[in-house]
Amino acid sequence: MEIREVVFRRDQRVIYDGLTASIPRGKITAIVGPSGTGKTTLLRLISGQLNPEAGDICVDGLSVPLLTRVELFDLRRRMGMLFQSGALFTELSVFENVAFPLRVHTDLDEELIRFVVMMKLEAVGLRGALDLTPSELSGGMQRRVALARAIVLDPEMIMYDEPFVGQDPIGLGVLLSLVKRLNQALGLTSLVVSHDLQETLSIADHVIMIANTRVAFEGSPQDMQLSEDLLVQQFLYGRPDGPVHFHFPASPIEDAL
Amino acid sequence: MIVEWIAGIGSLTLSQLSNVGRASLILIQAIVGRTNAGVHWRLTIDQIYVVGVLSLSIIIVSGLFIGMVLGLQGYTILTDYGSEQALGQMVALSLTRELGPVVTALLFAGRAGSALTAEIGLMKATEQLASLEMIGIDPLRRVVAPRFWAGVISLPILSLIFVSIGCLGGALIGVSWLGVDSGSFWANMQASVEFSDDILNGIIKSVVFAVVVTWIAVYQGYDLVPTSEGISRATTKTVVHASLAVLCLDFFLTAVMFGEI
Repeated sequence: MEIREVVFRRDQRVIYDGLTASIPRGKITAIVGPSGTGKTTLLRLISGQLNPEAGDICVDGLSVPLLTRVELFDLRRRMGMLFQSGALFTELSVFENVAFPLRVHTDLDEELIRFVVMMKLEAVGLRGALDLTPSELSGGMQRRVALARAIVLDPEMIMYDEPFVGQDPIGLGVLLSLVKRLNQALGLTSLVVSHDLQETLSIADHVIMIANTRVAFEGSPQDMQLSEDLLVQQFLYGRPDGPVHFHFPASPIEDAL
Repeated sequence: MIVEWIAGIGSLTLSQLSNVGRASLILIQAIVGRTNAGVHWRLTIDQIYVVGVLSLSIIIVSGLFIGMVLGLQGYTILTDYGSEQALGQMVALSLTRELGPVVTALLFAGRAGSALTAEIGLMKATEQLASLEMIGIDPLRRVVAPRFWAGVISLPILSLIFVSIGCLGGALIGVSWLGVDSGSFWANMQASVEFSDDILNGIIKSVVFAVVVTWIAVYQGYDLVPTSEGISRATTKTVVHASLAVLCLDFFLTAVMFGEI
């Protein structure tokens, strides 16, 4: 997957100004960076939910911004995405949420659908919750169901948007292991957007750090730990002062008061 | 000053044209293209229940009361001219030509249109539409199209029910309460209402209103800003825009159908 010179803005605010990165096939790539730098936006650009102002995004040799609507939906069938909010269908039960992609895209009989759904729910530890509705689950559990749904079609590529938010230490450990095992067992290309830096870096093969509208670092987690770049250091060790601004752009407070 | 004023009008016009363009694109993408007919039909039937069957009570109650009011008012006016025997004709023509299609469309916009906007808007706000896209399902085909067709099918049927109930309401007041001769009431109604001129034109009006009201409702839901305030504004817009569109279109349709233009 190649991201070349992408320019993107929301209203007047520049999110990316010539962002270039490459995401290796079959690896776990962590996308990290300060809040508001456009990590989720990058996932939406890759999946074609947003279009860049300039530049190109190539997925498996296909230029995503140039795809027709039908081609885009065909490409998305090969992708899975775990949304920050879970985005479960509120009127369906946990079982039906996970079964939904199977019912729409396959001709599997009911018995086989049940088998596959149970396996996926077992993997995320929620087989016992199959009859509950999303409103009866906690936020962390909803994200685990959403993960089961995202992997139910065994996609070639999966994008996780903050998968570890709201997880207790046990759930976090299980999910980390699951992401790693899925990647190894199925040869998935995985993109993980997360603020849980140490946990994410522990399973990542490749890291892309976005800050100040560009890629601030790209390489292995080990290289990132050893990097002497001030920006990387500030982010890794959570320092308030440095090249990354904690404050949203604004005039001096003296002028505002 | 004048330049700013002209610029303001220009900007408003461009914005409105852009809205119409987006709404047209959404509608075309929703109803044109490849589809699984069986699934699509099942989803449409489900929505006909939600927007049509669940609107029945408000349509029946409103139809009954409007028919009763027509009976009462018509009797009072016609008695002055000694023509109370024409009450059935007056009630039926008022309902089939105007009140049936228009009032049903207005009630539909308030009851089902606002619900459609809020439902689609909430699906957008909770990322369910984005989630469908990522599963490889076009939300326009899966969510918008069934709701659109359900509205287009339901509203004309609701309008016919409204007219029928209205006629019964008129008869209840005119015949049972005020003593108009039952034979005259129904015979005059039968003799004066033409299928092609009155009933068919009423149905055509209903279909046009159905397309416009449902289109506005699904567009407002799909295009809203995904926040609680955005949903609230879009729901209000649906009711206001759809009601105004129905009243404006009714004038033009009436002019074409009955105004001998």
